[in-house]
Amino acid sequence: MKDFFHKNGVLLLVIALLLSLLVGISSALMGGTADPLSNAATTITAPVRSLVSNVLDWAEGVYNYVFRYEELNTELDTLRKQVADLEAQLRESGEAARENQQLRQLLRLQEKHQDFVFESARVTQRSTTNWESTFTLSKGSSAGVQTGNCVISETGALVGVVEEVGLNYCRVSTVINTDIEMGGICVRTDCAGILEGDFALMSQGRLKLSYLPDDAQLRPGDQILTSGQGDIYPPDLVVGRVEELRSDPSGMMRYAVLKPQARLDSLVEVFIIKEFDVVE
Amino acid sequence: MTRRDQLFKWAVYALGLLPVWVLDAFVLSRYPLFGVTPILLPVAAAAVAVLEGAAGGAGFGLWIGLIWTLSYPGVPAAMIFLLTLAGFFTGTLSRYALRSSFAGCIVCAAACLALLELFQVISGVIIQLGPLPALLSIALREWLLSLCWTPLIYLIFYRIYRRVGGQKLA
Repeated sequence: MKDFFHKNGVLLLVIALLLSLLVGISSALMGGTADPLSNAATTITAPVRSLVSNVLDWAEGVYNYVFRYEELNTELDTLRKQVADLEAQLRESGEAARENQQLRQLLRLQEKHQDFVFESARVTQRSTTNWESTFTLSKGSSAGVQTGNCVISETGALVGVVEEVGLNYCRVSTVINTDIEMGGICVRTDCAGILEGDFALMSQGRLKLSYLPDDAQLRPGDQILTSGQGDIYPPDLVVGRVEELRSDPSGMMRYAVLKPQARLDSLVEVFIIKEFDVVE
Repeated sequence: MTRRDQLFKWAVYALGLLPVWVLDAFVLSRYPLFGVTPILLPVAAAAVAVLEGAAGGAGFGLWIGLIWTLSYPGVPAAMIFLLTLAGFFTGTLSRYALRSSFAGCIVCAAACLALLELFQVISGVIIQLGPLPALLSIALREWLLSLCWTPLIYLIFYRIYRRVGGQKLA
């Protein structure tokens, strides 16, 4: 031990302490923007991340083709049936849409629309810690990505929210992460609540819809969308489906456990909503 | 040992860290076991500290702490200091109380990981991340799963130590 202190041991410990303080304080002060050191480190390692990510995606594709061919075929058949059902529903709703359009024109109402500006990005790194659920994506401030932007999958399901932005990367807090909090609404009953992450549910890949009204009549299978309250996040993004209803330890409040629609463990490409404009 | 030899030695150790880093950051995070992903970098710090002693362990711990904090999302900055400290104590332990062997490495890696898990649990309690049983469950599984990788990581750095470690280049 004396050798250590002779060999600039104290200096090493002081340097370590100072670096910890520097990185910690700069992270805290910069809010959602990555501190310069993290930015530099992640920018330098970005090519490695992309390369490894691409190689692993390719290897997973080969593995799925070789070992999960039957399973994928079955899933394809199920999806084909779902598409056929949805097309039938679309045809039936076409008449209602036309009538809605005519009524809007009659009453001189502005057409309801949602304009989104998307930026596509690849998932370059999955969450490396068990204490939170995040992704790293391949786009950052140079592509116009900002903290608070929502991220959706190719099917329009909510994946998460951008919480830190670097030059060519951004970190996304997924829907099951503990710091997620946004308004949610049930499609069937119009019942509103708050979508929240929960640490115990996060390890099971679930989140919860809490602060439900006493007369909320949710049931398993109900689809939950974002409500867009406060205009911070876009409305009508698919979050997931209700799995079960539970009460909190006090027994006073009920909450719904949701299974996210987005398959967080197999995402490859996602879309960042950089801007949105909603007219009701 | 000349300064050039020292630089060469630690450059080789840093290269040895590369496959561990790739495995930890990109491969294992995709395929969690029992709902958790192991953490390999603290095990690497412990392995080098066991082989090289307190000074080398602290320096390598500082280096690994920097990599871990700067290139991994969500890792608290305190890990830089904690890993330096862990490297120092592990190196000291291996010189005065344990052998610089695989058995010593297992004990030191277990202690290192336990220290980090304790820090995570205490942080989680302070910021009310979740209920204590859930935090402890994750900490225990992470500790166990990470410890399982000690043989491979020790082997990598032991091979490096046999070639360039200690005073061999002198």
